Amino acid sequence: MNFAFTGEQLALGATVRDVLRDHCPPAALRTERRPAWEQLAALGFFGLLLPPEADGLGLGLTDVLPALEETGRACLPGPVVETAVLAPYLPAGVPKLATGSVCVAALPPGQAYAADADLADLLVVVREGGARLVPARSLRAAARPGVDPCRPLFEVGFDESEDLAGPAGPAVRAATVATAAQLVGVARELLSVTVAYARARTQFGAPIGSFQAVKHQLADVAVAVEFAAPLVHRAALSSDAASARDAGAERDAGAERDAGGERDAGAERDAGGERDAGAERDAGGERDAGAERDASAAKVAAGEAAAAAARAALQIHGAIGYTEELDLRFWLARAWSLAAAYGTTAAHRERLRTAIVDGHPSRWP
Amino acid sequence: MDLDFSPAERDFRAEVREWLGAHAPPPLPSMDTPEGFAAHRAWEAELAGARLSVVSWPEEYGGRGASLVEWLIFEEEYWAAGCPARVTQNGIFLLGPSLLRFGTPEQRARLLPAMAGGTDVWAQAWSEPEAGSDLAALTSRAEPAPGGWRLYGHKTWSSRAAYATHGFGLFRTSGARHKGLTYFMFPMTGVAVRPIAQLDGLPGFAELRFDGVYVPESMVLGREGDGWRIAMATTSSERGLTLRSPGRFLATADRLVALARDAADPALADRAARCWVAAEAYRLHTFGVARRIAAGEEIGAAASLGKLFWSELDLRMHALAMELLGDRAGTAGWLDGFLFSLAGPIYAGTNEIQRNIVAERVLGLPR
Repeated sequence: MNFAFTGEQLALGATVRDVLRDHCPPAALRTERRPAWEQLAALGFFGLLLPPEADGLGLGLTDVLPALEETGRACLPGPVVETAVLAPYLPAGVPKLATGSVCVAALPPGQAYAADADLADLLVVVREGGARLVPARSLRAAARPGVDPCRPLFEVGFDESEDLAGPAGPAVRAATVATAAQLVGVARELLSVTVAYARARTQFGAPIGSFQAVKHQLADVAVAVEFAAPLVHRAALSSDAASARDAGAERDAGAERDAGGERDAGAERDAGGERDAGAERDAGGERDAGAERDASAAKVAAGEAAAAAARAALQIHGAIGYTEELDLRFWLARAWSLAAAYGTTAAHRERLRTAIVDGHPSRWP
Repeated sequence: MDLDFSPAERDFRAEVREWLGAHAPPPLPSMDTPEGFAAHRAWEAELAGARLSVVSWPEEYGGRGASLVEWLIFEEEYWAAGCPARVTQNGIFLLGPSLLRFGTPEQRARLLPAMAGGTDVWAQAWSEPEAGSDLAALTSRAEPAPGGWRLYGHKTWSSRAAYATHGFGLFRTSGARHKGLTYFMFPMTGVAVRPIAQLDGLPGFAELRFDGVYVPESMVLGREGDGWRIAMATTSSERGLTLRSPGRFLATADRLVALARDAADPALADRAARCWVAAEAYRLHTFGVARRIAAGEEIGAAASLGKLFWSELDLRMHALAMELLGDRAGTAGWLDGFLFSLAGPIYAGTNEIQRNIVAERVLGLPR
């Protein structure tokens, strides 16, 4: 039991934080579409989750969670989650994913519009029953109004598309957890800039942060963030565990196929093996359901923490916070736009209700 | 980062589950009645007989030297089995950890085993009529006497004091405000106790009057004048891990979800599911805190984050159960819990004080 990030996981987060501090300052949010993209690519960021045979590092979602949180903290524009987190689920034939030179956008299930589709070399369209891969040449993207100036929305159309083999669920689940991690980062930054403002701004001859009405709002945000984060961490762990099981099942299926000839000799052993495989499938199904539930719990908690942070941040900044001029608006917008990405808070709450009240929830571990 | 229990931790859980499965008593009468107090004490003695009353304490004092994670496992199993609330709680969870940290070897050997076995039941004596949230305004005092001290003053809202054998609290030995306070332990003999009925009509706390109660020097915890620091260490454990482990909230959440299965209104079921997730969040967060403590970190003011979270979660869960049950809440066994959950945001430092602590000492806002 060691429910804390390892030194390596934290170091990766710190590295990304340093890069974003230098290459994605608030000023860049007004002028650049994809700040820090090349620097992140040079770091290997887009290959973190890819297997070594695709020039990646083969890390799990848990390993990159602190780094993803930093992208939220910096309010980094561009389809970062789509390109870095969906990458392992794309066909092996898609070239250069690890280098970040292929930019991926997504239209997740239940959503009308695809964010950042104008930048996409590839669009992943996930609908009931599977996912399709759309190349840029056949993609039509029409801008639609959205809340986040750095995460523009597009209605998309396409003629040509390729079926994405395999179930889309795990890919969407990973992107959901990654988005939740970004929301935690957004919430932390909103809390930190608002605390700084409440210390500096004086009224009635005292910093407004010395007034209990202000203190208590910020304390409540601190509580919301503090208890959202572990749900996100757990969701990453259970998503990784479910993915590892899927990969293991695939390997076993391959091995079983290879050993097919030998097996004819021992019918008894085969029957036993089948029984074991069945039991394993059942346990696996439960684990997948658990991973889905945990992803929803993470998304709801992180979305609500970020929404609460945005609400308190705006209220405590007062009129200056309500301006286009103050950089705060980018983080407010990100809290709102990501809360609606990969399933709204309401949609995930409904999934939780189904999994927990209608199902029979088991704790993990 | 992982969430895997070791084989030893799994074995420990299995042992605890098996023992509690065989020994957990049926619901006992309230510990705030004479017969309920006796029954709860007898249960503590039975737990202690299996060395399960204070698993995280050293073996010499009746524990098993269990790790924090093992203690959390014990708590999960304890509440899942529907076991009684701990009548020894003020002693084993508040004073005990302070004795282990600040007490002399002689004090530990003399006081801890009787505390662990339920022979001595300790009441806390912090608040005074004019010193509640502003605890440093307390005026009860101790005056030197040959070989010890005499206590004078007036304490109130003293939990368990109606039936307890001993008490502990702060008394002024010099100075003003936080300085010059000393941490005393005392037997209840000689203290004038006036039980106070709570919302449920039973005397869960009491008023204490001290008119020269003599305590020997050996009942001072830590150095004279160092009481505030020691008390803060105690309240930090009260707010954090030791008083309210996740186990009890997990058990409540499970019961609540079972209750919500019959809810006609999906909005109520939705709230139950969210409570279940929140209890999980508290559990996961606690695994993280346990790891930090094991690594030698001081949790300090951050414990207030946890106190805010669990007390409001507990209230939310019980308020929802009341809504789900209507006039059946009492017969369904939720009424006592509801009343107790209402106390959560008040005791162990009100939630207003906790928010101030978070704002000032965690976030760094000005006082």
